Amino acid sequence: MRIDYKLNDKFDLGLVIPAFILFCIGLAAIYSSTLHNPHATGNFNKQLFFGAVSIILFFVIYSLPTSIFKTLAVPTYLFSLLMLLVVLVIGRRVSGAKSWLGLAGLGFQPSELAKLGVVLILAAFLSRKNSAIDSFKDILIAVSLGFVPIILILAEPDLGSSFVFMGLIIVMLFWKGISLFGMFVVLSPAILAVSSLFGVYYFISGLVLVILSLFMFRKDIFFSASIFTINLAVGFFTSYMLKALKQHQQTRIRSFINPSADPLGAGYNAIQAKVAIGSGGLWGKGFLAGSQTQLQFIPEQWTDFIYCVIGEEFGLIGTLITLGLFLYLFIRVLKLASTAKDEFISLVLIGILSIYFIHFIVNVGMVVGIMPVIGIPLPFVSYGGSSLLASMIMLGIAANVYRTRKNYT
Amino acid sequence: MKTDNFLSVTRESVAYFVIIFSFALLGFRLVQMQIIEHGAYDEKAANNAIKGIEQIPLRGVFYDRNMNVLVSNIPAYTVRITPAEYDTALNKLLEAVLDFEPGYIDKVLFGNRTYSKFVPIRIKRGIDFNAVSWLEENSANLRGVDLIVEMQRGYPAGIRGSHMFGYAKEISPALLEKGKVYYKPGDLIGSSGIEKAYENILRGKKGYTYVLVDSRRKEIGRFKNGTEDAPSIKGNDLVLGIDSDVQRVAEEELFGKNGSAVAIVPKTGEILAYASAPDYDLSAFSYSTSKEYLQKLYIDPDKPFFNRVNSSPKPPGSTFKVMEAIAALDMGVIDTDYIIVCHGGQVFGGRFFKCDAVHGPLNVIHAIERSCDVFFYNLIYKIGMDKWTEYARRFGFGQDTHIDIGEESPGFIPTGASYEKIYGENWPRSIMASLGIGQGEVNVTPIQLAQYVALLANDGVTYTPHIVKGYLTSDSSRKFMPFSYKEINVGINKDIFAIAKEGMFLVVNGSGTAAASKSADVQIAGKTGTAQNPHGKDHALFIGYAPADNPQIAVAVVVENVGFGATWAAPIAKKMIEAYLLKDKLKQREKNAEKKISNNLIGAAIAH
Repeated sequence: MRIDYKLNDKFDLGLVIPAFILFCIGLAAIYSSTLHNPHATGNFNKQLFFGAVSIILFFVIYSLPTSIFKTLAVPTYLFSLLMLLVVLVIGRRVSGAKSWLGLAGLGFQPSELAKLGVVLILAAFLSRKNSAIDSFKDILIAVSLGFVPIILILAEPDLGSSFVFMGLIIVMLFWKGISLFGMFVVLSPAILAVSSLFGVYYFISGLVLVILSLFMFRKDIFFSASIFTINLAVGFFTSYMLKALKQHQQTRIRSFINPSADPLGAGYNAIQAKVAIGSGGLWGKGFLAGSQTQLQFIPEQWTDFIYCVIGEEFGLIGTLITLGLFLYLFIRVLKLASTAKDEFISLVLIGILSIYFIHFIVNVGMVVGIMPVIGIPLPFVSYGGSSLLASMIMLGIAANVYRTRKNYT
Repeated sequence: MKTDNFLSVTRESVAYFVIIFSFALLGFRLVQMQIIEHGAYDEKAANNAIKGIEQIPLRGVFYDRNMNVLVSNIPAYTVRITPAEYDTALNKLLEAVLDFEPGYIDKVLFGNRTYSKFVPIRIKRGIDFNAVSWLEENSANLRGVDLIVEMQRGYPAGIRGSHMFGYAKEISPALLEKGKVYYKPGDLIGSSGIEKAYENILRGKKGYTYVLVDSRRKEIGRFKNGTEDAPSIKGNDLVLGIDSDVQRVAEEELFGKNGSAVAIVPKTGEILAYASAPDYDLSAFSYSTSKEYLQKLYIDPDKPFFNRVNSSPKPPGSTFKVMEAIAALDMGVIDTDYIIVCHGGQVFGGRFFKCDAVHGPLNVIHAIERSCDVFFYNLIYKIGMDKWTEYARRFGFGQDTHIDIGEESPGFIPTGASYEKIYGENWPRSIMASLGIGQGEVNVTPIQLAQYVALLANDGVTYTPHIVKGYLTSDSSRKFMPFSYKEINVGINKDIFAIAKEGMFLVVNGSGTAAASKSADVQIAGKTGTAQNPHGKDHALFIGYAPADNPQIAVAVVVENVGFGATWAAPIAKKMIEAYLLKDKLKQREKNAEKKISNNLIGAAIAH
């Protein structure tokens, strides 16, 4: 490959510029949505501060030798698990979930770090031998690595983040090249767990589907029975867990399944979010001129519902530009992942992409009303130090890989 | 990587597909929400954020004919409850402070249960000073209770005008059902008198101010700096034909009695005074009537709410004789040379009908002057039953006058047919003798009498009696817009009226029945009447006008259960006439009297 000494050769502007613009759009939206809220007026400055810190972190990560990520995989993973344990003991409870660690006056969410930890450890495990993942043992280990943090995060309980992890595991296994049967083994318990939340009939229909699928795959009877037993166990365990939970935790889970059951809670936000975006029209109502935003119809809009601010004040133009920037960023990371010859690097990049993408699709899907209300932030845009730092660290890894791509691609 | 794994070849394509598909889906969804369904969402956002607050306009005020304010608007406190914030544990306390019977507030809240819990409900208007200060002091403990200043009616001229002015009160659910387009619960609506009859002119037009509210419906500022606001338009002010001085005299004179007094401008039909007694105090009655006062009014056997002017038909007595004289003269069955000799009574149909005195020979003029019954017993037989009925109706009796306010009774003018119905074809014609002196089945209302005397004074032509002359536009020009009223013309020659009026002149200024009410300053013409009352003392009546040669004012007075018209009704009429025609003279006299008193005082002071 011909060596190009332009800036773009070592530094992927295609990654950095969209992310930076998204951050700026986020800043504008945070400014607008916190302008009249006495409890949140400092958030704009805080986000600026986090932005500065995350840019420094970005460049630190960017300049590291690429090989260090593999080395750091196990320590990062273990450290994040430790943090998840610590937060369960001494964490701060914010809107029902014990997911925050107080750190020098600033809040920090260990689950953000754990996302990176799981990406690195799974990438390291799956790339251990350069062959396809085909043994039941490998799948079990991979899933277990991912499930340890999921269990800890569910205990907080932070449902939104645990969904990101589930998606992450599935995408990484898929990218590694799991067989259809392997995918079935991984997915069926998850599907059954979710279906058990909806009730007995859903759970039983799920079980019937599992049995039918097992017959189709024609694996040996003992193996099939084990899979079935695991499925059954997961289902019962989930419903048992649900009953063991406290009242307010149960309510959160129920309103997640059925938002209209709680019209003044999650359902209210979903309705007001749609009104905000829809009323924005083509050109928007103008910066600082959105009634839904300025009159605070959506609580804590600067975090998970930030896309409404863009939709209301900058209209379809604003929402489509934001979509375009994400699309460009995702395609860029996907290309990088596809061209990476090193399997670890490729898996890390696809893990990063899936974290970005799951956050993005769940968050935007939620505010436009095609997904249930799951409280997770929009990368680069939402207010929040942990989320921004995690996104920028991951962007740093991607940029790092780009810098040394000649060695790895 | 092996190719036999699940989708291994197309993994990258699958990833691209998922990403592109998701973005396309979101893009379409955004276009759908922000372009296609934009209107609906925009409306929802506006409903969320913009609240229209009704601005209740000032009701129009009433002026009298000299542009003195009779009915005004004065600020008063209203207590309101916002159900969403209110704790019904406060009921007992509030009911005690606001002078309500226990359970009242619950009843009001229940009555409003179908409306928004966030809209304040008016509990009481025009609360007194003690209650205001108590509420202000304890406002911290009275969540959901607030005080606002609203306008209520004031009566600065010292004129009661209860039945004439009427009152506005909170709209009833039944009326609300009919008037939904304009009225909302808690709105005031004219309920009687002028307030009711001229509701549409008086109420003005509600306005709206738009405010921004946050997610808790708390006001946080004006919407677009108030540029979209629609200001309320004040109601039109009414100009009444009422003369305050005449009205005041009528009310004072009727005080303590049961009866009516109406003064009217003969040429125009404008009512100068309109009084029905007993009455009630509108300023005490408006909005915040005390339980005791209301109770008293309702159980009063004299029925203070009853509008006697419009709705109390009584036999007209001798006042009817003028009409009969005119009828006979117009028909040509008599002339001024027609004489009847009064022997103090006469037999009709085997029954003796007496006269008040032995009048001797009288022509029609003197028969009116002396109110000789024998003359008119005979006259009605000359007129005949059917013609008598016809002439009575021509003078407006037996039918609504269509006065501009209130309900009215048409009274009753018997016909030959009505007697046939009761007694058969050969009904005793002796009945007619009673009718001849305005007794018996004939019933007329005071307002009909007023219209009648106006017709007499103005030689058979007047206009529908009316209190309101017109209104002033509510814009800055304040243009006077007169209402037009129907002309009434009995179609009888002036000369015939002149004959009857000569008699009426003599009633007061000759040796007539009301000679005692002769005025030193103005020539009054009139006719007394005493209507027999089977339930007690007779009703006293007087109709009159002045000045006799060029009538400016016509008056009808009815005082119930007192006796002779000359004794009880004529003096009231005289005072009303003088109040109107001798306005300046009377005022000068008052001034002189004051001067005299002060001079005496000064003199006394010097003497010491």
